[in-house]
Parts: sequence; C-alpha cells; structure tokens
Amino acid sequence: MTQQYSRFMRWTSRMLMASMLAMSLPLQSASAGIVETDQVVSHELAGQDRARISAFLEREDVLARLQQQGVSAGEAQARVSALTDEEAHNIAGKLDQLPAGGESILGILLTIFIILLITDILGLTKVFSFTRSVR
Amino acid sequence: MAIRNARLSVGVFILCLTACANTPQTRLVLGSPAATLPRHAELTEVPFFAQEAFQCGPASLAMTLNAAAIAVTPETLKPELYLPDRHGSLQVEMLAATRRHGATAYQLAPELNDMLHEIAAGTPVVVLQNLAFGWYPVWHYAVVIGYDLDRAEIILRSGLERRQILPMTTFEYTWARSNYWAMVALPPGKIPATAEEASFIAAVSALERISDPERAQSTYLAALDRWPKNLSAQIGVGNTAYRLHDLVRAETAFRQAAQDHPDSVAAFNNLAQTLADQSRYEAAVEAARRAVSLGGPLSQTAQETLADIERRMKHSLNKE
Repeated sequence: MTQQYSRFMRWTSRMLMASMLAMSLPLQSASAGIVETDQVVSHELAGQDRARISAFLEREDVLARLQQQGVSAGEAQARVSALTDEEAHNIAGKLDQLPAGGESILGILLTIFIILLITDILGLTKVFSFTRSVR
Repeated sequence: MAIRNARLSVGVFILCLTACANTPQTRLVLGSPAATLPRHAELTEVPFFAQEAFQCGPASLAMTLNAAAIAVTPETLKPELYLPDRHGSLQVEMLAATRRHGATAYQLAPELNDMLHEIAAGTPVVVLQNLAFGWYPVWHYAVVIGYDLDRAEIILRSGLERRQILPMTTFEYTWARSNYWAMVALPPGKIPATAEEASFIAAVSALERISDPERAQSTYLAALDRWPKNLSAQIGVGNTAYRLHDLVRAETAFRQAAQDHPDSVAAFNNLAQTLADQSRYEAAVEAARRAVSLGGPLSQTAQETLADIERRMKHSLNKE
C-alpha cells in the first residue's frame, strides 16, 4: 500500500514538474526581450526626483548653510547624479515633508537635515537608511 | 466679576476658534477663482449606493466606477477592499481595486481647485475625510459630485445621504485632515482635466500591469494626444500592441519613440525584439546594437536581447 502510494506520488510529482516546466517556457519567451512600460516610467520619475533634489541644493538658503558647514555645492551635486532611482525617490519624498524655509526651529531642523544628508553621503554618518556613502 | 471673566474666556475661546482655524484652499478658491471654473456644477446622474455599517469605501468606489460606466456593486467590492479589523478600507487598496475593475485610478493633487475642475469636467471625485479630530479620527470616504461657489457649498454622496450639502469650510476641515486625499476612476481613453503628465502615465502603466492591453492602450493613445512626446506612453502603446500580437503597430510606436528619444534603451530594445519577431533579423540586430551601445541600468536586458536575436538569426540561416 505504501509502496503503491509512493509510486503514485512519484508519478504525480513528475507530471507536475513537467507541466510546470511546460507552462513556464512559453511565458518566458513571450516576455523576454521586452522592456516593460513601468520600468520606463520609474526611470522617468527618478529623473524628475533627481532634478528636484538638485534644485533644492541650489536654493540660496541651502547653499549658504552648506558653505557655513564647509561642504561645497559641487560635492553635493556630484553625488545626486550617482543616486540610484530608488534612493532619489526616497530623498525627494523626504524633501516634500520639509518645511519650506522659515527661521528658528524650522530653520535649525532644516540645517540638521541637510548636514546629516551630506555627511551621510560623504560617509561620515549613517542616519538615513536611503543614503549610500561615496567611500 | 466671575461672570464677566467667564464671558471673556468664552469670547477668547471663540476668537481663537475662528483665528486658529483656517481653510486656506476655500479662501483661495472663493477669493480668486480660476477663470476656467464654472460658478457651480453638479453631476446628478452619479448613482447612489447607501453604505452599510463601515462600508463607505466599497460604496464610494462603486458610485464612481458606475459613473465611469463600469457596473459593479458595493458587495462585489467589499472583499477586495474592506479590512474587518480596521473597520475600513486603505487608500492604496481603493486605487488598486479601481484598476482591478479596468479603470484608471488617478490620485489628484491635494488641491480643492483641482477637485472642482474635475467635477466641472464631469468626473466625480472620491475623497477621504476625517469627520472628527486628529486625536480622535473618524475616517470616512465620500464622493464629491458638485459645488456652488456662490453659496460656498460642496455637494456629496455620503454615507446614507444621497445629497449631502456641506459648507465649503466644513468640508475643507474634514478633508484637510487626510492631507487632501482625493482620487478619480476613469474609463479607458479618458484623462483627468487636471492630470499631471508623469503621475498620470505612471497610473496608466499600473493599469497596464493587471488589465487587458486594449484598455491601457486606448488611455496611452489619449495621453499622447495631450503630451505627444511622452516616452513612457509611446513605449506603452508599443508594449500593449506587442502583447496583442499587432507587430506592425508595435513597430510604428517603438520607431516613433526611438526617433523622439534617441537615448532610450527601451525604445531600441523593444524595436529590436519586434523586428526579430517579424524575422527581419538584420534591422533587429542593428536596433539591438544601438540599445546596447546606450548603456545605463537596462543594458543587461539589451545585451540579452542582442544575443537572443543573433542566435535566432543564425538558426534561420542554417535552416536555409
């Protein structure tokens, strides 16, 4: 009984394997060689995100703070172009949550955010999960 | 004295309520309305489904989908949307369920002005409201079907009310607490009046992933009417045509994309694949080489396509 059962199982599993293989083959050849639309979309969106981060780093108040801290604008910009699509999207998302300027506490928070972002990028700190150090 | 103090404090409290409270978007829309916006509009033909307990998500979505000529009842949507533990439906699932039923789900920019423009263009808008406070939230989905600038009112299909009229300020208070979350469900081929190019194309490509290719294709084509050079929409037309085995149309779309965007790996790679499927191997190899030469994050796909086409070409030569 058990032998019969195991033979039955072996036969079933073989049939299953064969049919799964057969099913996967045509599917693969149908999609191979075509770049899906959503891949193109995410690449385009990442380009926009990068442009937004660059624009943020070019703002005068941001530039002034960077310079106070001894970080050159060139260094920061060079790194923006090296971000992966996903990283650029993450940072752009964080920028949306930032207060749009202002002084006092908001200003201080902004400064801290920028400094940590840049020092993360330079590999001196590791506060944000989405940054990847240059070193 | 005590009475006067009490009166004073009540006065201060009321003053604070009016001063602290602000409805900036209402002020903007009423103060300087866009010239393109009619003074009032109401979509009376939007059907009404009264909600069962906690079922505002399925009911709201059913109303908008029916307005988009997609026949569906709240009962059908309930298992796709409703989370029994949370007595509600998540925003992302509202968008996902819309796509499952073949409509384009587009989240509007968080602007009252945009929402009113959609109504004026004939599209009802699903909104998320918090009817109570930030610290005691009562979340609620409803469908905005009309407005009246002269009377400063918003008209909704909401809960058990077929025609709920809210003062615009009250509506903004409740809506602002969801960060002005609003979405529309559109039939194939239609674009929201206020659509932003990149976000809308992303919404169509999300639909393409799960729906039949015809629906996505007609929407990509409509998008190209508005933004003729959009790369993703061009690729989208090509990919949907390819999936429908319309290789001639796919080739035309990819050629146009390659011409408008000579640095797009996707355009050349997909063109190569389409040519190879028509056994035009020399032209296919040329396009595939171009794709490989462009590099970038898709370069591995391009290399695989090239290798595959060269193999197929050799195979067909051997046969001859």
